[in-house]
Amino acid sequence: MNDASRLPGTTDRSVVTFTFGGEPIRALAGDSLAMALWAAGRTELRASSRDGAPRGVLCNMGICYECLVVVDGVQQRGCMVAVRDGLCVERGGKP
Amino acid sequence: MNDPNVLTADVGVVGAGPGGMAAARALAAAGLSVVVLDEGPGAGGQIFRQLPPGATGARLAEPPSHHHGHALLGAFAASSLQYVRAAVVWDARPGRLWFEHDGRSKLLRCQRIVLAPGAYDRCVPFPGWTLPGVVTAGALQVMVRGFGIVPGKRALVVGSGPLLLPTVTALLSAGVQVVAACEASSRWRALRALPGVFGNGARLREAWWYARQLLRAGVRLRFGWTIVGCEGSGRVQRATIAKVDGTGRPRPGTSQTFEVDVVGAGFGLVPSIELGLVLGCRTRFLAERGGHVLAVDDRQRTSVAGVFAAGEVAGIGGAEVAIAEGELAAAAVLHELRGVAVPAQLVGKAQRERKAADAMLRAFAPLPGLHALATPETIVCRCEDVTLQGARDAAALHGGSLRAIKVGCRAGMGPCQARICGPSLQALACAAPGRAMDLPVAQVPVKVVRSETIRSAPMD
Repeated sequence: MNDASRLPGTTDRSVVTFTFGGEPIRALAGDSLAMALWAAGRTELRASSRDGAPRGVLCNMGICYECLVVVDGVQQRGCMVAVRDGLCVERGGKP
Repeated sequence: MNDPNVLTADVGVVGAGPGGMAAARALAAAGLSVVVLDEGPGAGGQIFRQLPPGATGARLAEPPSHHHGHALLGAFAASSLQYVRAAVVWDARPGRLWFEHDGRSKLLRCQRIVLAPGAYDRCVPFPGWTLPGVVTAGALQVMVRGFGIVPGKRALVVGSGPLLLPTVTALLSAGVQVVAACEASSRWRALRALPGVFGNGARLREAWWYARQLLRAGVRLRFGWTIVGCEGSGRVQRATIAKVDGTGRPRPGTSQTFEVDVVGAGFGLVPSIELGLVLGCRTRFLAERGGHVLAVDDRQRTSVAGVFAAGEVAGIGGAEVAIAEGELAAAAVLHELRGVAVPAQLVGKAQRERKAADAMLRAFAPLPGLHALATPETIVCRCEDVTLQGARDAAALHGGSLRAIKVGCRAGMGPCQARICGPSLQALACAAPGRAMDLPVAQVPVKVVRSETIRSAPMD
């Protein structure tokens, strides 16, 4: 994987594929879901409950719950879940 | 009897950052059985965050203190102890830690608890801060140093305190253009940090290293500036900064706008005291240490027997403080369990490091005027989508306490449990003259876990 969103020397890892909103996302083993999506240009992870405004990563360390996504049917923090082959990820809703 | 979900150890350590690693390593070296519970994917905490296996070829500029971190990580990895990663501790009593791990509800029974859960970024709401691409300073560091990801092309860094420097250098070493780096404190206020820096050799070397990195990249720190708003469609595209007065309030007519795709905001850190509150530990309010902290004595003992605290949870101070206090906490535990005398030099070292950190961080205590960055329409509580006006109305109707605001408008009642909006709500709650800063409310579970985890929690 040669990608401007990755630092040189960090890509010697196996490729993992999951889906986000039905679209395949190529990631690297060791990525969190939130970071794999960020590297793929997908920074919008859920919609606000009030006006549907886009929300994404805020703290990146499991504190804020802004990066909530639905992983195989369960709402989870995207920054705390490691990517795995075949995961089915959907945008999160209200935390 | 042999429930696989119940662990037993002499000591349970919460957190595998510098404080937790230092304590656990020393305890294990003395022959005690130790279980370390940490929520992260690997040891090191946020400050010594490690790249995943296969990503370690990255060339990231590292400050001198990180060599200390590598040595500690090595010693921790070589220690004979049980380290549980991705463990979410959600309840505690003296000698008991309940946690969720690998989809299971587990209990650690131990004789002593060392709390070293660290801290998280202090957030200050400003117009547009909910846009994707606007993240905390800590988030950017995790992105670059923890995952090897380039956050964007053009970044703005704003906030206050020493952590702006590693944020800027992480971005620079990832090849990101830093369009501006804004420290809200004035140059004169920031100069008050110097006694703490010059009084401590390691801090002086660290400051010098950062100064060289910024000079080399041609980035100058703008003192007395901060962000006043940002906008974009789906992701941040423009951000506006302005000069601020001595309290942090923006000065009209001084604004400058930049095209950006990333904003990193870090207005200091908040100690993670929730578990300590659940345990019943007494707290102190110290502005220069990040607000409410767990009160500890000269051996890192909290007010609750058998519970010790080290590092940021006892007050923001950085990795060197955390390591010294972690080692001291371990010695104090050894004294209680094995009768080993606490070495005087460990007490002295922890006190010296703490004194230097306090002297430095006094210059960056939270500026009250920064709460004026939010407009009435700005969302303050991001979980429950409560605006500043909504929180003000609740305060007017239900009374100006933190609890009354929460009950009145649900601000702070979402899954982050007010970790993000807490500082804003506290500022609102104590806006009335003479009101003291409210203690945050900690509730079990202190982190979101599945209801099944609570239902199936191993009994005491």
